[in-house]
Amino acid sequence: MSDTDQANEAVEKLDFFDRGSEDGPGFDRRAFLRRTALTGVAAGSVSTLLAACGSSASSSSGASSIFASNKSFKFTFVNHVTTNPFFVPTQYGAADACKLLGCSYQWAGSQSSNVGEMVNAVNSAVSAGVDGIAVSLVDETAFNSPVQAALSAKIPVVAYNADAKTNPRLAYIGQDLFVSGEKMGEHIASLVPSGDVALFIATPGSLNIQPRIEGALKTLKGKPGITTHVIATGAAVPAELSVVDSYITGHPNTKGMFAVDAGSTQSVAQTIQKHGLKGKVKGGGYDLLEITEQLLASGEIQFTIDQQPYLQGFLPILELYLYQASKTLSGIADVNTGLKFLTEETVKPYNATKSRYEGTATAAGVS
Amino acid sequence: MGRTLGGRALKLVRGFLTLREGSIIVVAIVTTAYFSANATNFATVSNFKTLLPYFAPLAILGAGEVFVMINGEIDLSIGAVYLLTPFVFYELNKAGVPLVAGVILSLLVAMAVGAINGFFVAVIGISSFVTTLGMLFTLDGLTLIVSHTAPVATPGTSALHVNTFAQVFGGGTYSELIWAVGIVVVLQGVLTFTRWGVYTVAVGGNRLGAAEAGIRVRFVLIRNFVLCAACAGLVGILEAVRAVTATPDPSGSNEILFQGIAAAVIGGTLLRGGSGTVVGALIGALFLGVLHDGLIIQGVSANYLNLYLGLAILIAMSVNVYVQRVRTGSGLG
Repeated sequence: MSDTDQANEAVEKLDFFDRGSEDGPGFDRRAFLRRTALTGVAAGSVSTLLAACGSSASSSSGASSIFASNKSFKFTFVNHVTTNPFFVPTQYGAADACKLLGCSYQWAGSQSSNVGEMVNAVNSAVSAGVDGIAVSLVDETAFNSPVQAALSAKIPVVAYNADAKTNPRLAYIGQDLFVSGEKMGEHIASLVPSGDVALFIATPGSLNIQPRIEGALKTLKGKPGITTHVIATGAAVPAELSVVDSYITGHPNTKGMFAVDAGSTQSVAQTIQKHGLKGKVKGGGYDLLEITEQLLASGEIQFTIDQQPYLQGFLPILELYLYQASKTLSGIADVNTGLKFLTEETVKPYNATKSRYEGTATAAGVS
Repeated sequence: MGRTLGGRALKLVRGFLTLREGSIIVVAIVTTAYFSANATNFATVSNFKTLLPYFAPLAILGAGEVFVMINGEIDLSIGAVYLLTPFVFYELNKAGVPLVAGVILSLLVAMAVGAINGFFVAVIGISSFVTTLGMLFTLDGLTLIVSHTAPVATPGTSALHVNTFAQVFGGGTYSELIWAVGIVVVLQGVLTFTRWGVYTVAVGGNRLGAAEAGIRVRFVLIRNFVLCAACAGLVGILEAVRAVTATPDPSGSNEILFQGIAAAVIGGTLLRGGSGTVVGALIGALFLGVLHDGLIIQGVSANYLNLYLGLAILIAMSVNVYVQRVRTGSGLG
């Protein structure tokens, strides 16, 4: 009997400490950055740089000739779900900015939203004396003193992807998850004026998706005709598909199915297609998994939301670099990476291309 | 007389319960009956189809795990193998290997992983828990590197159309069920009727005695790890074909690992080895599947799902132990 208990416990523990990361939630918001967006948002300095560099091989000398800064800066990104597919474009964005400016970055943090691990990573970066830190502030207060310590050590810190109101960080680059949920709620209300609406979430309580569903619920609670139901789908995509499938089987009166994470969104689209409910049941969600893109393009669902994760890597490096190169005179600015509702029409260029902006290719450019 | 009739019924029930899987079958039937009575749309044909993917993959994972567990060992790397094989399949396909050959080669890679596990356990002598835990992290890492952490579309599949390849390897409505039932029947046969099975039970029951009786213990162990990994690899492919995509997220695969082992244990396989049945793993998986599907059909809200799932497992397993006691004749409690 005791043998049994011990083994059970161990297995459970294993499952437990990988649970946080899972969260399929995660790979939300994979995005695609058009060249126009790049030059537009990243401001004139980048286009000047690009023009000055000519080729990427000579980029470091190009950057140093513009900014008169010969030091090759080292920056650290601290992330809450380091292996999550959502952040693949973010890492490409950071790598591209580094290549452009002749600096380097390290990708660190936790695989499973473990705040203690992330705080350790920030502290280590301060000890190592890096030239700047970008951190996703997934906790309201836990990062306040480590960030303050970094700033006191003259290391600039910017927040990306997730922000905390009381944190002394210099700037935030990313999007407000709760606000994105509220906007999604308004979109849902315009598609489904009344009736039962199901909202799917991979893992309730995960910091990067829970605020979205709360935002959506806040908006939808104000619409008297709509009844909301919140359903947990799980971490693995095949299992999420099964859950959405069961739900629509058990609740044929459902008028709309919407999801707040990438895996569930794909599952909603696949289920609507499988049951031939196109147009009868409205659908939508977040992120740009390949299947989601295809089924959106064929009209099975009505929208998906893109949040440009590439910019969340590119811009922090750019800001930290400028801050250092200008000797604190410039570089810091809050940037909203946007809330793009993609439709049957606007998803098409995403569907047809592969690029680092979407994390679908390792090579430069859009092919 | 009522008494003899009652006696005869009791005898029949006892006869049924002498099956090792008897108690979990009772629990599964009761659970199904509960949801049929309480959840609208549960006892329907369309829900039967929906239910299949909940338990068929777990049944295959559990079936392989049973062989390792009867040996008194455990394989924690089945989730990681499940995660890796679709990406091996994808890379092979990208390199120009045809679909079916790609599946076979991917399964060979999975079996190689099993052989390495078995080698470390049987020859080097590291405990299987540590060995396969190490393998779990190794393969998770490898998958993340190979895939650049980006999800891929499963080769040979399309979101809009299910072709013959996809029909066979998990995409068809009954495909996973047929695979699961086929594998369970074959492996139960192996376990009950062949030398492989007898040796497996012998090694699990008394390793030293088995060795002295001339059984090649190391070979038996390695063979079972290979079998277990092959089952996990197959589930990886089937599920990737069904979902049309493969996602390299280790947290998802660890959930699968936990459920696969749970299916085997709930089905009556002992964690300390020496006893277990493949059919039991199938029923254990069915119980977990019915429970999960039933709760979703009932419309249980997200925040309550795990609570209900946990409580239901505890209650069901208490009933299971109680029924088992009746079965083994140690009194009604």
